[in-house]
Amino acid sequence: MLEVRDLHASVSEEGTKILKGVNLKVGKGEVHAIMGPNGSGKSTLANVIAGRDTYEVTRGDVLIDGHSILELEPEERSHKGLFLAFQYPVEIPGVSNAYFLRTALNANRKARGQGEMDAIQFLNYIKDKVKLLGLPQEMLSRSVNEGFSGGEKKRNEIFQMAVLEPSLCVLDETDSGLDIDALQTVANGVNALRSPDRSFLVVTHYQRLLNFIVPDFVHVMMDGRLVKSGGKELALELEERGYGWIEAELASKA
Amino acid sequence: MSTVTRRYESQLDSLTETAERIADDGPEWLQEARRLARRVHAEHGVPSTRAEEWKYTSLRRFAETRWSLAARHVATSSLAVPGYVEGAVRIVMVNGRFDHGLSSTDGVEHGVTVRPLQDAIAAGDELVRWHMGQAGPEATQTVDREIRPDVYPLAALNTALFEDGVFIHVAAGSGGDALVEIVHVLADPSETAMALPRTLIIVEKGGRAKFVETYVTEADSPGAVLPVTEVFLGEGAVVEHVRVQDQGPSSTHIALWQTRQHARSEYRSYNVCYGSQLARVDQGIWLGGEGTETRLDGVVCANGEQHIDSHTRLDHAMPNANSFEIYKQIVDDSATVVFNGKIFVHQDAQKTDAKQTNQALLLSPKATIDSKPQLEIFADDVKCTHGATVGQLEDTPMFYMRQRGVPRDAAEAVLVYAFAAEVLELITVDAVRVALETKLYEKLGVDLK
Ligand SMILES: Nc1ncnc2c1ncn2[C@@H]1O[C@H](COP(=O)(O)OP(=O)(O)O)[C@@H](O)[C@H]1O
Ligand SMILES: [Mg+2]
Repeated sequence: MLEVRDLHASVSEEGTKILKGVNLKVGKGEVHAIMGPNGSGKSTLANVIAGRDTYEVTRGDVLIDGHSILELEPEERSHKGLFLAFQYPVEIPGVSNAYFLRTALNANRKARGQGEMDAIQFLNYIKDKVKLLGLPQEMLSRSVNEGFSGGEKKRNEIFQMAVLEPSLCVLDETDSGLDIDALQTVANGVNALRSPDRSFLVVTHYQRLLNFIVPDFVHVMMDGRLVKSGGKELALELEERGYGWIEAELASKA
Repeated sequence: MSTVTRRYESQLDSLTETAERIADDGPEWLQEARRLARRVHAEHGVPSTRAEEWKYTSLRRFAETRWSLAARHVATSSLAVPGYVEGAVRIVMVNGRFDHGLSSTDGVEHGVTVRPLQDAIAAGDELVRWHMGQAGPEATQTVDREIRPDVYPLAALNTALFEDGVFIHVAAGSGGDALVEIVHVLADPSETAMALPRTLIIVEKGGRAKFVETYVTEADSPGAVLPVTEVFLGEGAVVEHVRVQDQGPSSTHIALWQTRQHARSEYRSYNVCYGSQLARVDQGIWLGGEGTETRLDGVVCANGEQHIDSHTRLDHAMPNANSFEIYKQIVDDSATVVFNGKIFVHQDAQKTDAKQTNQALLLSPKATIDSKPQLEIFADDVKCTHGATVGQLEDTPMFYMRQRGVPRDAAEAVLVYAFAAEVLELITVDAVRVALETKLYEKLGVDLK
């Protein structure tokens, strides 16, 4: 599904190197978690995969189903089934949530050769998904993320994901700023979307989300590289022991 | 002396002849007004960019054109006339003349009179006589500016030359918030055709009404429209007034729009400019009574080589009045947009609360904006604020939308619309708001149905 090969990326404007050779393979239907201390490059990896031009890829490749996506525009990557749930969802005053999402859905449908949905078909289509994420109906008519609480913003991201039905979901710190109830709602939303055809890359620096969204693989990112991989028990170990021991391990190898 | 360099040598003699001919028609008061207007125009002519008020807008080409009045006989039945609300009272002016065939005044609200201005004048309507030309600011000792109303030399041309117009009267306590649509069509293929429509609206004490004034051109008529609109609000009157300038891209539009509010009246005005090659609107509101409420908002969208200039002037002449002004300007390609917002708070206008915001969105490196707020305060107990920003579309929302699959152009259009929406969404007539939204998307080249 997703393959990241020796990916190096730096900040376009000033050239600071952030990703320094990331290698990762996410198979169909798998759930991978990326953990790591703040500032290690997790969000950068997520954004580079999604095509944010703040970052420049200086080496390596990102492939979906065996095809490089680095030359594709962000919207083209979306049409290929890629979804990024933002660490900081963006507020767009003046654009209603429903309007925005219908525009996005129709753009995706159009790109896939499907017919567009009118407002009524759309409302029917999203009904169950609204319930799944426990969104109040009025949130649909409010401006995108404007004045939403932290929890509402994150639920809104997962709601959009549910509507767009992507095949590769990248979640960037979807758990940050959530209380336990909100966390559970968000996790339920994600779990409802798990399927043999859909892969997940879950970025977090706390283990607790992974109690709810149980990963198949866990990777540790440090200073722009994935330095250690393991099964779900690695997440627990990190929770208990922190990241220091990995640093020590790396230092002893060097 | 300096006046010589502040005006262009103009080619308006053919019009001046017409003006002389017209000046002998009609009642004595009108002849007098026309004579005065001709004098003002003769004295000030077509201002050059050396004149402070025209610094950023060049009328050189306008001055060099040999204008003539737009065609009198037009096969109007085939004209495409934009309408908003099905079955609304609609007045259609073609080339500055009231068109009975296209207008529909059936179903006009009780207490509301709508008629051709020419008829009202011919019938000796005293209201017309006492209001025409009287909406503008009064010269006072403290606020005595070089921009007195008689120095709108092109509006003076309208006074000297207008043949017809529309007169609307809402009697005391009537109107019931009913909508009147006024459409001005320039339909003349000549590049030298000029139309000078005149609109006079009087809403008496406690009257309530909504007006949408729309300016369009038929088949991209390349001529000029020089309208003058005057609006009077009696005590406690409530009026919403949307002005839409959507003329074709080769045309010229130079307008004067003046409103006078009496005590406790509420006037919500929206100046929407999408069209024409060269446009200038001077909007002035005189707050001549206590406790008035005023909105003076604008949405400008200019692209290609368009030049759109909005000059606004608010005169807080009496105490306890609130005014809010938001101007949103979208500038693309190598278009230029000018904004000048004057607020005068006169000596007596204590407890004034005036707020002005001007925001420009530049969509291209070649787009230009010249913005100048101008607050002059002669009272001591007032709250006046103004702010101006010039920005570009932000990266992050663009990326966010594109990540969700919305193509770049559409994302840009949605964000631009959102920028304008803060004003457009204040318009309470749904059909008008939706039409303006659709037109904006059209103008941005995006089909978002
Ligand atoms: N646009 C940017 N400009 C400058 N530095 C950046 C930018 N984006 C990220 N960085 C830097 O790169 C490093 C990794 O950031 P990030 O990917 O956000 O880390 P994480 O998500 O793991 O906390 C940090 O030191 C951060 O300051
Ligand atoms: Mg991060």
